[in-house]
Amino acid sequence: MFDLLKKVLSPVGPSGLETPVADVIREEIKDCVDTVEVDALGNLIATKLGKGENPRKVMLSAHMDHIGYIVTGIEKEGFLRVTNVGGIGMVNSYNRHVVFPNGVHGVVVAQPVSGQPALKDLFVDIGAQDKDDAKRMVQLGDVCVYANDCFRLGENRVAAPAMDDRCACALLVKLLQTVGETQDTIIAVFSVQEEVGCRGAKVASFAKEPDIGIALDVTGWGDTPGVTLPEIKLGEGIAVKVMDRGSISNPALREALIEAGEQAGVKTQREVLPYGGTDASAMQTSRGGIPVCTISIPCRYVHSACEVIDMRDMDAGLKLLQTYFN
Amino acid sequence: MDLKTLTEINAPSGHEQPIRRALLEELKAKGHQPYIDRMGNVIVVKEGVGPAPRKRVMVAAHMDEVGLIVTGHAEGGFLKVTQAGGIDPRVLISKRVLVGDDNIPGVIGAVAIHLQSAADRARVMGYRDINVDIGAADKAEAERKAPLGTYISFDTPYVEFGEGYACGKAFDDRVGCWTILRLLEEELPCDLIAAFVSEEEVGCRGASGAAFAQEPDIGIVLEGTTCNDLGDVPEAVQVCKTGEGVAVSFMDNSSIVNRELFRKTLNVAEQAGIAHQVKGSVSGGNDAGSIQRARQGIPTIVLSVPCRYIHSPSSVIKLSDADAQFELTKALMAAL
Amino acid sequence: MDIRKILSEATSTLGVSGQEACVAEYFAGQFRPYVDEVTVDSMFNVIAHKKGQGPKIMLCAHLDEIALMVNRIEDDGSVRFSSVGGVDPRILPGSRVWVHGRNGKLFGTIGAMPPHLMSAEDRANNYKMDKLHIDLGLPADKVRQQVRVGDLVTFNTPFTELANGQVAAKSLDDRACVAIMLRAAERLQRMSCEADVYFVCSAQEEVGGRGAQTAAFAVAPDLAVVLDVDFALTPGCGPDVANPLDAMVVTHGPYVQPKVAKRLVDCAKAHHVKLSQNVAGRYTGTDADEIGVSRAGVPTVVFSLPEKYMHTSVETISLDTLEEGARLLAHFISELDAGWEDELWI
Repeated sequence: MFDLLKKVLSPVGPSGLETPVADVIREEIKDCVDTVEVDALGNLIATKLGKGENPRKVMLSAHMDHIGYIVTGIEKEGFLRVTNVGGIGMVNSYNRHVVFPNGVHGVVVAQPVSGQPALKDLFVDIGAQDKDDAKRMVQLGDVCVYANDCFRLGENRVAAPAMDDRCACALLVKLLQTVGETQDTIIAVFSVQEEVGCRGAKVASFAKEPDIGIALDVTGWGDTPGVTLPEIKLGEGIAVKVMDRGSISNPALREALIEAGEQAGVKTQREVLPYGGTDASAMQTSRGGIPVCTISIPCRYVHSACEVIDMRDMDAGLKLLQTYFN
Repeated sequence: MDLKTLTEINAPSGHEQPIRRALLEELKAKGHQPYIDRMGNVIVVKEGVGPAPRKRVMVAAHMDEVGLIVTGHAEGGFLKVTQAGGIDPRVLISKRVLVGDDNIPGVIGAVAIHLQSAADRARVMGYRDINVDIGAADKAEAERKAPLGTYISFDTPYVEFGEGYACGKAFDDRVGCWTILRLLEEELPCDLIAAFVSEEEVGCRGASGAAFAQEPDIGIVLEGTTCNDLGDVPEAVQVCKTGEGVAVSFMDNSSIVNRELFRKTLNVAEQAGIAHQVKGSVSGGNDAGSIQRARQGIPTIVLSVPCRYIHSPSSVIKLSDADAQFELTKALMAAL
Repeated sequence: MDIRKILSEATSTLGVSGQEACVAEYFAGQFRPYVDEVTVDSMFNVIAHKKGQGPKIMLCAHLDEIALMVNRIEDDGSVRFSSVGGVDPRILPGSRVWVHGRNGKLFGTIGAMPPHLMSAEDRANNYKMDKLHIDLGLPADKVRQQVRVGDLVTFNTPFTELANGQVAAKSLDDRACVAIMLRAAERLQRMSCEADVYFVCSAQEEVGGRGAQTAAFAVAPDLAVVLDVDFALTPGCGPDVANPLDAMVVTHGPYVQPKVAKRLVDCAKAHHVKLSQNVAGRYTGTDADEIGVSRAGVPTVVFSLPEKYMHTSVETISLDTLEEGARLLAHFISELDAGWEDELWI
């Protein structure tokens, strides 16, 4: 699983520019599903047909996009003015190594201001001599992300910038590779533009008309100094969402997933997240409405350049889903 | 129909009847078959001259404008109002307005500066402080002439001034409506779904219904957009500039533009020598968000005319930028 | 139909946003005698269909209620919580609640740090939700056996009759408006009706109109009337934001279709139903915001029942206003004909 995770973490794929991620994932899954397609917004949609009679269509969604900084202006000295794509927290931003899809590197810096810097005070230094030099490397509208830096932390944990939500992409890839024959038809959506409002999952669920929707995403943590909520601990099992700001999980589906975890003999945690949302929010209100739930991988320091997960929770998630579909 | 006529029609969001009527009349006179859909959008479908199967391209501009709406009546015959669409109340003081379908003249005044304390002068006047005065003798007359829910528009005639500039209200987005009217005169290779949509300024509502019903292959949104090219704004944070051509967006709060379409648009503009610029800001949102996420998703692009003092009684555009919007839309449709 | 009994039963039935199965089942049973078909869909919307050949109209009032949810169990046995929907933390200290655990509901009361132990400065501030706890009178191990993170907590306030036909209870927002639909459905049995009528009790309104959004897609109506509560005049809630308790309210503004709203106003005049009016410059804050943009668009109006003390456990309405609302709604539906769409937009 770790090697697969590393592979899925490596491509640069900010919201709206997810193609490099889709290319990596497609290679991994193309031999274990029936069809693979890319839709008008760039969602990668893989379908694995169920062997049951009138199989249920279960959509599993993990988003490929990563928060980033978009170039809105170029100073005559060659510095880039940027703004956020997705939820960027200011304290996570300063003096970070970023990279553009074309390989150009940069450093995000905050200029000195009285009080707390705001997004408008950020600039990116790409080593340009002046504006013309900068324009040879980067154009208005280009987007950079925290540069990939994946490393093991202790025995079981891994840190990397794009863990949200590539760890769930890796989990979904692994599920497709290992689940074998299923009664249900699995529609695996590697979705785009989740970080800017679950836009990819909205159009994908409209197109595919699933009977059930399960989002795979990361969730917050409550086990580090000064943080107690949500009551989620790394390494204590895969989380099954009760609610967040975007969706309330269907109670029957939620309990069925928790039960699958019990059958698989893995630890699960019940998640009540007072903020945030996942692709489940978009799936739930698609067309006439569908039951949804989110399987969450506990993740510390979400939306920073060092998002940390525990591989034991990933394994628990995989076994839970394998059991649910078998 | 010219831009002057279009901008001088009063039709705030939710009260598009006047502009809807004017467009219907104009379109019928030109031999088109317009119809009104369930959201109150005016739609014309014009078949292309290219070989089938042709791309179906929805070109959308919103016909509503920002305005005010009567929420109550105060003793003394004053109208209490709030915004229908986003208007910064700081631009309303000391302006003339037209109230209701009978265009009753009104003014928005303020307490004389002599009577204001230092604290009063520093305080921003919000909608709670603002009164529209139509000269009503008492509350009863005000209620009779401007009942609850009456819409109010700026009273600012269209004026051309300086070197090729125009000043008026509602350039956002009658300039886009004007461009669509000009496109309908052309023979284009692909099918043109001309959509004059409602209620953009209150949440891009008309466009979502139009896109759902029409199921286009591609969406082109024509807008007027924020421009801050004068005064002490550093160049790197200017959104766009008047006179530098049509502004092409890469992203805003409502959508991330389809990257392939974005590149293609810039290439077409360069090859055809059409004045254009990349919009250097992601602020604001528009109908592209609604169209892009209709049904199973639709690639969408936004082409805007830079508009100074947008959402105010007195906006300014350069007419050559409107021409560039028309030229680029036409050229892009030929290249799709 | 005993409206007091229905309100009393409905407001004491569990139906928190997203988990409305019980209250949905209750209302489905109540509608069954007056319509041709009742379904509860996967979102827990109740869709009651009275078949007709005329225009397809969707009436919509939401059945979900705001509530609390367990998010942590402390080692001393106290239970911490967050909200489902917009709950004002100021109403919570001293409130009695039901905690819906794995073996049924437990009585609890919401405690807070006593004022005696607080500084004068702290006493000047309201309690924040994360500083409050539920006291179940049980030690932590017993609590953990029965209560889990994610369990629901609802207000324990009995239905109360006040003077002059006013009644108070929790979740009259918006179950009182479901009762208006029920009463209208009953009245329609004795009236001529061409319209194809869908009474929808929508789920998840308090968290963003989610049930109405999917119900509107499924029903695909020609037009819609959304019934919700609106602010009634009380001290501190004046005429700039509120209306008298004794008359239903029709809303004007960009999110409502003006000609359909006018039709409702004209209908009220014709049948001598007293009606107040208000204006929403943008969002109406009701299911109308979602229904209006369903599919290719749905001409929608908002018809409101004034309510005192919204989002508390003592929401108060007038039964006379409720009855008049039902009478007007029944006439409006009964008089809807194929001509409703003529010159709708010009």
